[in-house]
Amino acid sequence: MTDADTNGGNTERERVSVPDEVELPRLLDFYELQTEDQTQIHEFYENLRDGQLTTTQCTDCEAIHFPPRIVCPKCTSDDLEYVDLPHEGELFAFSEVRGGLPMGLSEHDVPYVVGVVDLGPVRLSGRVDDAAYSDLEIGDPVSLKIVEIDGPTDEERVFYRFEPQDGDSR
Amino acid sequence: MIVAASARNVAIVGGGTSEWGERDATWKDLAQEGGKATFDAVPGVGPDDIEGLFVGTVQPERFAYQSHVAPMVAELLGIEVTEMTARTELACASGQAALRYAWLAIAAGQLDTALVLGVEKMNLGREHMPEMQASMANVLDREFDGVNGLSAPPFFAWYAQRHMHEHGTTREQLSLVAAKNKSHAANTDFAQYRSEIDPEDVTESPKIAPPLHLYDCSGITDGATGVILMSEEKAREVTDTAAWITGSGQSSMAGNSINNLPSFSGWPQARKASQNAYEQAGIEDPLEEIDIAEVHDCFSISEIIEYEELGFCERGEGGQFIEDGRSQIDGDVAVNTRGGLLGCGHPLGATGVSQALEVTRQFNGDVESDRQVDDPTTGLIHNLSGSGSVHSVMVLDRDPQ
Ligand SMILES: [Zn+2]
Repeated sequence: MTDADTNGGNTERERVSVPDEVELPRLLDFYELQTEDQTQIHEFYENLRDGQLTTTQCTDCEAIHFPPRIVCPKCTSDDLEYVDLPHEGELFAFSEVRGGLPMGLSEHDVPYVVGVVDLGPVRLSGRVDDAAYSDLEIGDPVSLKIVEIDGPTDEERVFYRFEPQDGDSR
Repeated sequence: MIVAASARNVAIVGGGTSEWGERDATWKDLAQEGGKATFDAVPGVGPDDIEGLFVGTVQPERFAYQSHVAPMVAELLGIEVTEMTARTELACASGQAALRYAWLAIAAGQLDTALVLGVEKMNLGREHMPEMQASMANVLDREFDGVNGLSAPPFFAWYAQRHMHEHGTTREQLSLVAAKNKSHAANTDFAQYRSEIDPEDVTESPKIAPPLHLYDCSGITDGATGVILMSEEKAREVTDTAAWITGSGQSSMAGNSINNLPSFSGWPQARKASQNAYEQAGIEDPLEEIDIAEVHDCFSISEIIEYEELGFCERGEGGQFIEDGRSQIDGDVAVNTRGGLLGCGHPLGATGVSQALEVTRQFNGDVESDRQVDDPTTGLIHNLSGSGSVHSVMVLDRDPQ
């Protein structure tokens, strides 16, 4: 090879660049897009925006699902309706994350408590806000709360969390 | 399950591994190291002999920004695949899924010789750990579980909490599992963590997700491990000391998200998968008949639950099982002799392959003497994946039966 081929001499090399930073891309967003043109369970999100946690129930076999569906996994019917879920339940299990925060969850400052909440008809995972691991016990009563999500889309989005019923926040 | 009478015997004839840990190496580097080590360890078999190539790996798209990785391995190792190739993804059981497909392809008579290679590159630099954690959180339902910041440590912490709550399992018993496995890894030359520790060291390590401490958790690991599987006819040409696959079971529930898990203290699918595998292998009393078990100790609590579900003891007695020393190398069943995930680390796709290699080497008397089991004849590998909704169990034997 010659000097000209490698730019190894005094000649200036052409530069290419990659960005130092990119904004959190939508594809790395944990939260689903929630509107009718994005998801067929938009009614779940609309109900939540209106202040009510709901899920689907099959009108054929009466199975209650969570997460909400468009097809009943028990009988394959797609004749489903939205039913209200209780907003109060009991802590079934919990832990506190003290490190290893997943990217894209900037609102989760460590430490945070994440648990299993038994609402009766369903048992789901959820953040437990305004509580520390050492304050909690299995069986503690918790209440649902709804949070608004900022970014990375312009869409107004919501999600649910829990908090202790006798917590400071009440 | 019915095993066809015409199914052929399949053997693991040997294999090799890269060094595991926080490696200054790319995914492609690791694949080459693991492939070379495998061919070096099996003198009668080279790339030209491979008809089927199965690559276990979980997230090359996120960890190495690369997909379509099985053909990439074929290129790197000079393998012209004549019969069958694919990358297998089953989260933490991806390596075992690759083994299972290779076994089935050979048993069914579709090919005679397969390379199973597990590869994972997970350490992207400390500053990118949140990206790695985000990818791992998505093995649950991302929309309803991952979104809550539910990564593996708090998820398995729930199992520890519930097992303690329901069965009286103690913090000390969890520490005994972690100390056993990490200390075993001190005798494993490729392991990520090669220091003996005492049970007290576990509770002195930082609390990651209480009740779990750092030493209750497996590592974030780079590594690659391969094994060669062959039909009986071919295997007899290259070795007298193979590990024969005598049973392989798998069970997945119709549920992966939190609301659809029936238990937070047990894994019914591990019981079902092991019963399937035991039936195929003709095992009636697993504790009596199995000499060595490589089980999925992603967290200390996991191994305690697995003693129960794999039939080594009754439900709720897993804590007592370790306390009584029954899973030590000189106990009733030697569990995780190479050091398990807790000691070796857990390069997701490579773990199942490494477990199978450990059992093969144990049969051959080919491991460091401090971890060698006395004349083992029957072994087991087990992996869970995701939320524990899927369990995979394979039984290996020194004789094809
Ligand atoms: Zn139905």
